[in-house]
Amino acid sequence: MKHVLKIFSLLVAISGLWIGLLQASIIPRSHTWLLPIYFIVSLGCYGLLMVGVGLMGFPTCPQEALLLQQDIAEAKYFLKQRGVDVDSE
Amino acid sequence: MELADRAVGFLLSFISLSIFTYYTFWVIIVPFVDSDNFIHKYFLPQEYAILIPVCAGVVLLCLLCMFVGFVMLKSKKKKA
Repeated sequence: MKHVLKIFSLLVAISGLWIGLLQASIIPRSHTWLLPIYFIVSLGCYGLLMVGVGLMGFPTCPQEALLLQQDIAEAKYFLKQRGVDVDSE
Repeated sequence: MELADRAVGFLLSFISLSIFTYYTFWVIIVPFVDSDNFIHKYFLPQEYAILIPVCAGVVLLCLLCMFVGFVMLKSKKKKA
């Protein structure tokens, strides 16, 4: 519940800032009207960028993969000896 | 395997950066240049700068609702 309240208060603050910018004409009017959509689009772009950067730097750990395969083979052999059939492929 | 991951990641970040720069130019810089500059050839009329994100957002919302409804129907059919 508190997290929702935090996000809501942030939204209210940003919209207050936008309305304040509308009243005091520091930036030209046409730009101020377009600001919310610009921020939403840039937020989506930022999320996509973070996903792309994370994908690019994702580690694969080949040694751990090998150890894992060995563990799986060992576990299958152990369980098959006890009578449990886990080779369902 | 990891080369495909790196290629997809690079493609995603490239698309996002290009969309960001194009949209920044469109919304912020193009209204300030003169009406008969050459740069206006490369950018669509300014109404589309609002129309395209709103349409994309509406389509995304529709797809999301359809997906949620589809999953709910499938789970209900499996239980019955």
